[in-house]
Amino acid sequence: MKSTIQVSKLSNRKKKGVNWIALFPLLIFSIGFQVIPIISLISSSFSTKQGISLENYQHAFTPHIMEAFQNSIQLSLVTAVLGVSLGFIVGYAIISTDNKLVKDALIALADVTTNFGGAPLAFAFIVTLGSTGVITLVLKSIGVFLYPNFRIYSISGLAIAYLYFQIPLMIMLILPALQGLKKEWWEAAINMGANSQQFWMRIGIPILGPSLMSSFFILFANSFGAYATAWTLTGPDVNIITVQIASLIRGEVQLEIGLADALAVVSLFIILFCVGGYLFLSSKAKRFRA
Amino acid sequence: MRMNKLFRSIVLVLFLLFMLVPLIATFLFSISTRWDRTILPEGFTLEWWKKVISRGAFGLTLKNSFYISFATSIALTILVTPTAYWVHIRAPKSKVIFEIMSAFSFGIPGVILALALIRFYSGIPVPLINTTNILLLACMELCFPFMYRPVANALDSIDIHTLTEASQSLGGNWISTFIHVILPNIFPGIASGFLLVFSTVFAEFTLTNLLVGARFKTFPIYLVEFTRFDGRQASALAIISFVVAWVVSLLLLLISGKRTITSDNLTIGH
Repeated sequence: MKSTIQVSKLSNRKKKGVNWIALFPLLIFSIGFQVIPIISLISSSFSTKQGISLENYQHAFTPHIMEAFQNSIQLSLVTAVLGVSLGFIVGYAIISTDNKLVKDALIALADVTTNFGGAPLAFAFIVTLGSTGVITLVLKSIGVFLYPNFRIYSISGLAIAYLYFQIPLMIMLILPALQGLKKEWWEAAINMGANSQQFWMRIGIPILGPSLMSSFFILFANSFGAYATAWTLTGPDVNIITVQIASLIRGEVQLEIGLADALAVVSLFIILFCVGGYLFLSSKAKRFRA
Repeated sequence: MRMNKLFRSIVLVLFLLFMLVPLIATFLFSISTRWDRTILPEGFTLEWWKKVISRGAFGLTLKNSFYISFATSIALTILVTPTAYWVHIRAPKSKVIFEIMSAFSFGIPGVILALALIRFYSGIPVPLINTTNILLLACMELCFPFMYRPVANALDSIDIHTLTEASQSLGGNWISTFIHVILPNIFPGIASGFLLVFSTVFAEFTLTNLLVGARFKTFPIYLVEFTRFDGRQASALAIISFVVAWVVSLLLLLISGKRTITSDNLTIGH
């Protein structure tokens, strides 16, 4: 018996190397198509003909590019704040619905529409809110003229289209947290004389806080990195950072090549910060779900 | 925790209108004779659908999209599933590497991934740039977490150590254990991953547009081209895209019963 244990220990040690070799295909894939390209992107953003410098960054931040960053950040903030608040209200309305069939149907709708993004979505909004869109025509008939003050092909139009995937995403993110709010907490608070506002301010929101914050981060990143919807809806007219990077890639703008790298690295930093915030806070939020 | 009934109904009706009006409008637009002057369509016709389907490019782009979606899903299944099993049973310390990989794949937007790949692979003598293969590899990279997370969750939810020991004590080797014992037990996870990857790649526009341009036209690329010159036919294409996304989502719901969106299965950067 003793000897078999020793033998298996020995062979275990020998096998350690073998254990890791089996992971190589996936690791090589990841290194080749994620790690190295991203590292080379970062390093080339810092290199110029003269050597390592911040020159690309200095050149990249023209007023036009500053405006692109500003627009992207604003668009992401607005759609994340609206997405979080509206998604939270709708999610709560769904949870407190008594009819199970209605509830399941609404959850399924949110589930499916989270994945409706990109080109078809952008086009659906042109049909709905474009200059001869359905809603535009309906509003016109009752004397409300959307155009020319509003344009779906603008940054505010883009915000409306983004909300179409931001709200359902928020609903799907917040549903588990809302389900974790226990009826007993509400009953206990009410029995001790709290009103509904006090319940939300003192118990509901603090418990949901990490979930709400983590959802905000992911919605922000979701909007910041979006490209297909913006490109289909507005073409090159709207100045946001993903559209700028894409036009540099396609070579539509004559600029030094390091500039695209610098813009990409700054954007990547913003997005990874958000993803990190999301992962950190969502692990905290899980504490309340048993 | 009751919400005022009237308020709740208003919230839900507004939500439904916001979510459904664009879809219904797009569908009606695709079957209407003319709809730019009156509130309701002036008449209905199937002309736009017939026109768009009869084009050669329609079949070709649809075929291309199915090809790249299936290829990515299959390649990722083959690459990820055995590795995930091995990670769980023999190298649990390496789990954290794959978690970090997932987080990165999930965070890096298509535009930046495309730029990084072009910049790196155009500088070295590997014939990948401008080929369908680079698109396939980029899609695999983008979708890695959608495959890895459901499979890893499925492996966590079964007792792989006992199953593996039982199989090996009956004479099974690693390969037969994996194929005959582990695979059937984690099948729902693999199927979820497969479908998530499929629907993500089917709707993929950014990587295709930036990596292969007009050389390999997929359905979303074709759709965007159409939005610029023929709205009716574009709306028919948009409806087809929605139906594909909808069918895949329903299949996912069927397989996983109840689906909660986490970093496992949400796509960012539409």
